[in-house]
Amino acid sequence: MRPLAARFRLWTLIRAGALLSLVLVMSGCLVPPTPETKEAQDTFGLYLLVFVMGAIVFVGVEAWIVYSVIRYRRRDDRLPTQLHGNTFIELIWTAIPTVIVLVLFVVSTMTLGAIDQPSKDPAVTIEVTGFQWQWTFRYLDHDNNPNNDYTVTGTTAQPPVMGLPVGQPIHLILHSADVIHSFFVPHFLIKRDVIPFPAGQSPNTLNFTITNAGTYGGQCAEFCGDLHARMTFSVLAMAPDAFQQWLANAKAGRPPPPTGSAPPGATVVDLSAQNIAFSTSQIEVPAGKPFVIRFNNKDSVGHNVAIFDASGKVVYRGEIFSGPKTVDYQVPALQPGTYHFQCDVHSTVMVGTLVAT
Amino acid sequence: MATTTLAPRAETYRRSWILEWLTTVDHKKIGVMYIVNSFFFFFAAGILALVMRSELAVPGLQFLDERTYNQAFTMHGTIMIFLFVVPVLAGFANYIVPLQLGAPDMAFPRINALSFWLLPVGGLLILSGYLFGGAAAEGWTGYTPLSSAYAPGVGTDLWLIGLILVGTASILGSINFIATIFKMRAPGMTLFRMPIFVWTMLVTMTLILLATPVLTAGLIALFIDRNYGGSFFEPAAGGNPILWQHIFWFFGHPEVYIVILPAMGVVSEVLPVFSRKPLFGYRAFVFATIAIGLLSFSVWAHHMFTTGVVFLPFFSFMTALIAVPTGVKMFNWVATLFRGSISLTTPMLFALGFVSMFLIGGISGVMLAEPPIDFHLQDTYFIVAHLHYVFFGGSVMGVFAATYYWFPKMSGRRLNEGLGKIHFWLMFIGFNLAFFPMHMLGIQGMPRRIADYSPDAGWTLLNIISTVGAFMIAISILPLLVNVVATFINGERVGDDPWEGNTLEWATSSPPPPYNFDKLPPIRSERPVFDIRHKHDREHLTDEARLPAEAGES
Repeated sequence: MRPLAARFRLWTLIRAGALLSLVLVMSGCLVPPTPETKEAQDTFGLYLLVFVMGAIVFVGVEAWIVYSVIRYRRRDDRLPTQLHGNTFIELIWTAIPTVIVLVLFVVSTMTLGAIDQPSKDPAVTIEVTGFQWQWTFRYLDHDNNPNNDYTVTGTTAQPPVMGLPVGQPIHLILHSADVIHSFFVPHFLIKRDVIPFPAGQSPNTLNFTITNAGTYGGQCAEFCGDLHARMTFSVLAMAPDAFQQWLANAKAGRPPPPTGSAPPGATVVDLSAQNIAFSTSQIEVPAGKPFVIRFNNKDSVGHNVAIFDASGKVVYRGEIFSGPKTVDYQVPALQPGTYHFQCDVHSTVMVGTLVAT
Repeated sequence: MATTTLAPRAETYRRSWILEWLTTVDHKKIGVMYIVNSFFFFFAAGILALVMRSELAVPGLQFLDERTYNQAFTMHGTIMIFLFVVPVLAGFANYIVPLQLGAPDMAFPRINALSFWLLPVGGLLILSGYLFGGAAAEGWTGYTPLSSAYAPGVGTDLWLIGLILVGTASILGSINFIATIFKMRAPGMTLFRMPIFVWTMLVTMTLILLATPVLTAGLIALFIDRNYGGSFFEPAAGGNPILWQHIFWFFGHPEVYIVILPAMGVVSEVLPVFSRKPLFGYRAFVFATIAIGLLSFSVWAHHMFTTGVVFLPFFSFMTALIAVPTGVKMFNWVATLFRGSISLTTPMLFALGFVSMFLIGGISGVMLAEPPIDFHLQDTYFIVAHLHYVFFGGSVMGVFAATYYWFPKMSGRRLNEGLGKIHFWLMFIGFNLAFFPMHMLGIQGMPRRIADYSPDAGWTLLNIISTVGAFMIAISILPLLVNVVATFINGERVGDDPWEGNTLEWATSSPPPPYNFDKLPPIRSERPVFDIRHKHDREHLTDEARLPAEAGES
């Protein structure tokens, strides 16, 4: 009997070990994306707490089932003790989930209070309109003149980009032009439904403060008809001064920089970006002639190249794109002089000097 | 001709078997028709699932356009819920509940036949949209105003009419079951001697009776909005689209328990039989079932956390609270295994599959009950994973446990155990391959109900795994089909009580005669058949069950 029992214990150990390692491997994939807003960091913490508690319950119960099935397998015809219940044990195991649930409720309600707080003085207010099947982002300013607002409307072929400053409270007002949509950015760990309320009911809002610069994909999360899957957009988070520049450019209606093959005979400057750094901080180009920056983005995050003159005015801004991909930026002719260039997404670390001679 | 002259009188009452089945009011025949009909819809909706998984395996649209994809998931959800899981469990209940009560039939046999026959009619109406310009494509939840002003096709109207019929069938059936359970119990069967399956059906049917009329009323209101200029849900005319969500989920959340409680009942019959022990904490289990039933009406808005218009703490608290009675049941099941004498038969494997997989659905449910976490996970693939761990890992495992467990009662033959185990393991592994990765996809932010996704999103590998799992589930059905056919042709005849069951259905022949029982055993506990089998090992019997032996009764 003894070796048999030992074998069963070994088996139990092996199975429990296999289960545990499987759980560990899988839990790597069971953690949300890096939180990129203040609010998302709170949610992330709550998620980890609940996930760990759930994992403990899971491992405990599954291990108990596997153990019972092995240990109490039918070996003979003897009838086991007919145990109908035990009030004390049943009270205990009613109390355990009750306590767990109460703890979770308190913690989650506290988190909810922290993440659902509207800012009294948002730095940027955007009116988001969801429609079948894209988005319009309208940047509200304080001059009460709608003609002055920057508005971008996406198409399924060209989803819109929502430029936003890092470290400043953002306030979104969510309108729907037709059916219910939902504004969802996975890296912000939040979504909010975009609902066509009847007249008199105020629209939903969403408030957050982004902590890190970068490009974050988003898309509609509430099924809204045929092209629901094509309602994508992206959030481009950048340093506040870069954001102001971006918005000013956008308002001025500067057309998106042309891309395409380089004109024959033009100077081509190679520049690449990897691990949030440019390959060089020094570029020399001929003055008075258009040239091409062949920009190779090796990162999966978005980068671009923007060129500023000595007074800080933008003279060229390339579109932001995620790699790995190479794009030729067609830069217009520059006056002789020294210029500053940067990636708008990472304007603190990805900088350099461009000299036109 | 010769037979006519030999037995002229018999011929007057003889009907062809087709006519017999079409006009029967026998609860057992109706139960079998429920089950067979449900499995046809199961296969149809399963094929739609394979179509969807094929499309989603890799980025890009390979087989379908968006509209067709949207129709596929709408039909898949609607049919699986309304025409497979609910009716198949109602079918088993139709067959088994009167037997477990020691009753000759349901309380209203003709209404019973009507509630069955409304189902294929309703189901075919829902599917018939494909013949009339396209089936409904708004999701099984049919959110307004997408399903009202923005879905001009007749498919959505057919979907509404079909669902109204199916809802009516459910309401009729629920009244029938409640009347049967309260009025048709055999002498000696007090409420607390009823089998657990009957208890879960009683609570289920009460939920159907209270919740389904709300949905049916909502469906009619939506039909009026669509066709007769109504504006219940039309924001432009002052209606509120969120009202539909309240109506739908006021039905929809009890519906989750309508689907899971009968499966819990099946599992609570199967685990004790194959552990050779009574269910641990019978009364606690009954009270937990009732508590789940009551709480299920106070949690509907947890499907609406991201709408921004519901009071989050209340619904969050009530939702989390449901984990308590559910946890009690989980403990009852695992305590039933403790110090048992466990045989791993096919029904037992499916019951254990239920307990271990439903656990995952329960845990992810508690996670989703926290609004901040729900804000991230709502409407992503995490929800799809969660609901399949509840509906498939839970209810469907229960359906197959019931199939293998009660097949000998219905046919007198046992399904082949070897093929049954192949079916179980293929399905169990395929299920986890198909649905576990969906948790990860959802956490990474893949929304549900999308026909396509970007190759840059990093979701491709997990989607491929999921598709492989889905096909594995489909393959696991093959041994079941072979098994059923082979068993009918040449199955092992196993007598009336092959599993050593506890409850009254095992006290009659297999299959039972038209009026079920020639003779009923005394009912002194919730396990009358166990009490007879062990009347001589008196230390195993409860005090009440021991009494008749002392009085010299046999």
